[in-house]
Amino acid sequence: MVSAFFDAREQQQVEMPAVGVAARKPANTNRRLRSAAMLQALAAALWIPQAGILARSVGRLADGVGLGDMFWPAVFILLLGMVKSCLDAVGGRLAFRAARSELSEKRANAVRLLARLSPVDAGRPASGEAASVLGEQAELIVPYLSRFRPARMKASFVPLVILACIFPISWIAALVLLFAAPLIPIFMALIGWRAQAASQKQLIATSSLNAFLLDRLRGLATIRSLDAVDATALKLRSEAESLRTRTVAVLKIAFLSSAVLELFSALGVAMTAVYVGFSLLGEIRFGAWSGGLDLSQGLFVLLLAPAFFEPLRELSAVWHDRASGEAALKALDGIAAESMTLADRDKTGKLAVDAAFALRVENISFRYRPDQSPIFEGFDLDLAAGEHVALLGASGTGKSTLLSLIAGLAPCSEGRIIIGGASADRGHMAWIGQRPHIFAGTVAGNIALGRPGISKTEISKALDLAKLGGVAKAYGHSPLGEGGIGLSGGEALRLTIARAACDPDIRIILADEPTAHLDAETAAEITESLLALAEGRTLIVATHDPLLAARMHRTIRLDTEHLQEAAE
Amino acid sequence: MITFLGDIKPVLRLFLQTRRRELLLGATLSVATVTAGIALLGLSGWFITATALAGLSATTAATFDVFAPSASIRFLAILRTAARYGERLTTHNATLAVLAALRERLFRGWASAGAARALLNRPARLLFRLTADIDALDSLYLRVLVPAAVAVGTALVASVTLGLINPLSGLLFGFCLFLTGLGLPLAAGRLALKHARRRAYGIETIRSRTIDLVAGQTDLLMANRLAAQQQAIAAADTYTAKADDRLNRIETGVSIGFGLVSTALLVAALLTSATLMQTGTITAPVAALSVLVAFAATEPFAALRRGAMEFGRTILAAKRIAPRLSAAQADFTPKAPSRELAFALQNVTVSHHGAASPALREVALELRRGEHIAVVGSSGAGKSTLLSLLSGELPPSAGMAAALDATLLTQRTELFQDTLRGNLLLAAPDAGDDRLRDALAAAGLLADVDALPSGLDTPLGEGGMGLSGGQSRRLALARLFLRDTPLWLLDEPTEGLDGRTARDVLHRLALRAGGRALVIATHIRREAALADLIAVITDGRITEVSRRGEAAFEKALDRLRPD
Repeated sequence: MVSAFFDAREQQQVEMPAVGVAARKPANTNRRLRSAAMLQALAAALWIPQAGILARSVGRLADGVGLGDMFWPAVFILLLGMVKSCLDAVGGRLAFRAARSELSEKRANAVRLLARLSPVDAGRPASGEAASVLGEQAELIVPYLSRFRPARMKASFVPLVILACIFPISWIAALVLLFAAPLIPIFMALIGWRAQAASQKQLIATSSLNAFLLDRLRGLATIRSLDAVDATALKLRSEAESLRTRTVAVLKIAFLSSAVLELFSALGVAMTAVYVGFSLLGEIRFGAWSGGLDLSQGLFVLLLAPAFFEPLRELSAVWHDRASGEAALKALDGIAAESMTLADRDKTGKLAVDAAFALRVENISFRYRPDQSPIFEGFDLDLAAGEHVALLGASGTGKSTLLSLIAGLAPCSEGRIIIGGASADRGHMAWIGQRPHIFAGTVAGNIALGRPGISKTEISKALDLAKLGGVAKAYGHSPLGEGGIGLSGGEALRLTIARAACDPDIRIILADEPTAHLDAETAAEITESLLALAEGRTLIVATHDPLLAARMHRTIRLDTEHLQEAAE
Repeated sequence: MITFLGDIKPVLRLFLQTRRRELLLGATLSVATVTAGIALLGLSGWFITATALAGLSATTAATFDVFAPSASIRFLAILRTAARYGERLTTHNATLAVLAALRERLFRGWASAGAARALLNRPARLLFRLTADIDALDSLYLRVLVPAAVAVGTALVASVTLGLINPLSGLLFGFCLFLTGLGLPLAAGRLALKHARRRAYGIETIRSRTIDLVAGQTDLLMANRLAAQQQAIAAADTYTAKADDRLNRIETGVSIGFGLVSTALLVAALLTSATLMQTGTITAPVAALSVLVAFAATEPFAALRRGAMEFGRTILAAKRIAPRLSAAQADFTPKAPSRELAFALQNVTVSHHGAASPALREVALELRRGEHIAVVGSSGAGKSTLLSLLSGELPPSAGMAAALDATLLTQRTELFQDTLRGNLLLAAPDAGDDRLRDALAAAGLLADVDALPSGLDTPLGEGGMGLSGGQSRRLALARLFLRDTPLWLLDEPTEGLDGRTARDVLHRLALRAGGRALVIATHIRREAALADLIAVITDGRITEVSRRGEAAFEKALDRLRPD
């Protein structure tokens, strides 16, 4: 089971280029969906000739013809049935493939937008939210596009054709059907919002039940400790029961719409049958164009009556796909709307190994949002290559922001960052954050992060430098817990130090409050590892920790004016 | 097929235990709806043909009884409508009832000690999987069982009707209908199982990789792996798309199969009727009736098509959920210690499942009743494991553990989506408002609660949202105060609080503890200062135990983080 996961991951490198979905225009998807829907509508319409042959055959049987005369009609019905099934299948496949490739495209696009968002923007969607939009919610696009669209096409096309076929035979039968489905669009709208309301009510009910369950499961340790398992289970039950009562009360009304559809469709058939019967008996002498109906015509009308209502019923069955599909499309398109993006950093090409990695922050300005006051305005900073600097200052003075700007996690509104005379790129920088993300996978995998050209020796060197050998040994080849559960804060930090240590290109290390939230002993150890990593490299540390700051070459104090600089 | 039933059995049993009558009624009404439709069409065909024959001569036309058939036709139309309405209401009501039972049972299943720990390790993935599985099971009754019942019911009704006309053809017809109606969906479900599983995994992978992309964006960006992560998500999408495509092919196969069988049955009915008419066994109206019955009897196929595809996913869900429905409740509660002790551990070793080295090794430690002990050590040294052992969440893999009835204050404040009162009542279901207010006052939260417009009835959001960090911790503390167990286990009780709040919380805790024994897992000095004893734990071993007044005690305190 688990291997299926990793299969996908292993294959990625090989398969990717092929996937790079040639950017198709949405119009293309729409066209494909339309032709698929046409095929399916055509398939549904094929019932008309089938019904015609069938009605005529039964009519002739009543006239007393024998089995031999049934041969060709049977063959035709069979052939038409095959063609019908095939057309329907081809249409269904076409619609599915168009819908599925639309999903892939939308997903890839959303991922691209997400990846461009600045991690320092507070308005960025949370990882859980993004995951549920891109994961299960996005999947709802497929049934919407591949089922609802064709069903809508069928519902607006097939009944009209059937009506057009019945009208020349008996205008009154056509009228009966037309009345049974009073003004189709209005009727559909009625079913539409009724069914939608009903399904939404039920959806809300179930999802709030799920939310209750998940909420309690998340705090299970507490519930168990309080001996409240039984009480919580009973509460869950009673909550569910009361939801049921309330939902059913709403459904009682909402289901009336489907009952109405059913009533009309059943009455349509019944009235057609009774009318045809009475007119065949000769008791009704109106409604047909000339001389009354004969048996074949009557049966034909009767066979078409249920087919007249079928597309409508089908449409109401897939109606709830529409709401969820449209919501999913909206969520995918809007996931990265109007947020701050990463700074554009074109690769400037590799700097020569011996190039001076002096860092210059030149006249930068930055604010998080246009309506907020600026964090930096015309700020300058010069760092020599290999210098170790501590950024000090109260919270909110912009220590972390400055690091982010240097790393290009957010764009400066003015000014620029220069390394060794060229504009900065991230290739020579490492980031040691406060709460590094731990990826699903082994310790070694978390250090290499799939970067090409990182050998086992480099990883084991990095493990030594970060003093992470013990953890790597304890876990061996088994994956770390989700989000680093089981790793302590110190160990997670060591992991990022090791990540930086195995990249020989790193020249500048940016560390954001590395020793915050650690006990004294661990903080001291982390400081040593960090200094070992920073040997011969530039190090900038944003910190509150006086012990760490004392180990730097110089400290820079940021205050609200940002310009006080104290050399030590 | 047999393994299918084995997987789904626990779920079916649960369904039947809850609302057997309603579930059956719903299925019956569904069958009635379809049967009324078949009868309506068959009778209409008969009526039209009979009237046509009668209309040929004036005398038969005058004597033909039109009243009974036309009234029956109208009656069937009404019956079908009523049955449909009743069916929809009953089936949905039954589904909702079953959902309630399923969730309750699952909660109880996960609430056993072993399962609860598994959940603790991979919360997001397991909870997501659980939700997806529950959703899949939700559709078991409506989308799979009811359509299957309808298929069987229709096959029976249609074959009896046709069997009255001609036993052999009725039997054959029913057999075909039964075989396709159940056989095709079952075969499809079987084929779909593998791909449904792949699809589920694919979506889970897209999810987890998206979480990595967003939560690990800085790490990926700085390691120049952001583009690779985007590709990894695209690869997972391709994987899912492949599985999706296979599923769609199977679905298409099912619908082609249904279409062909429908046509074949229709043609067979036509030819059989022609044969029987030739031999004079039946009259023309009866022939029309049997053709139309054959036509209408394939109606349930449409509903089965979607059910067949959901079947694969449902089996997967049932497979994963079933162990939680019938789990033997693990109970690791330690036995009571001897008289004067709060807990006693003798050479206890604890290993986490799958970990290479044990989390606690040969720990020997005792605490007398009423004493307070601080367990200190770096993160990951085994403090939390020790608390889990004492609270009965984990069994010792070697050695003897005994402890009094304990209440654990978890490190992360765990509050619930409920009112303030509801959150407190978890600890003491019978407590009146006075006792709740007393506990709130002791935790220093009463003034805040009284300032809220709805007081104790103020609802909290998911995970207790709506309170500040300090307020949440105080609420958790008040909840602890309501628990009259002789042992309280506190896991970093003031972590994440500002110094002033933290000291106040600790002060109140000390006041309220009374004669209880306390175990405090901590790496902060202010928390350890509450204790009479300090046990230092390193790599799962207790390396030092010191008592207040000893030099080692002060030294241990000095090594901790000042606040």
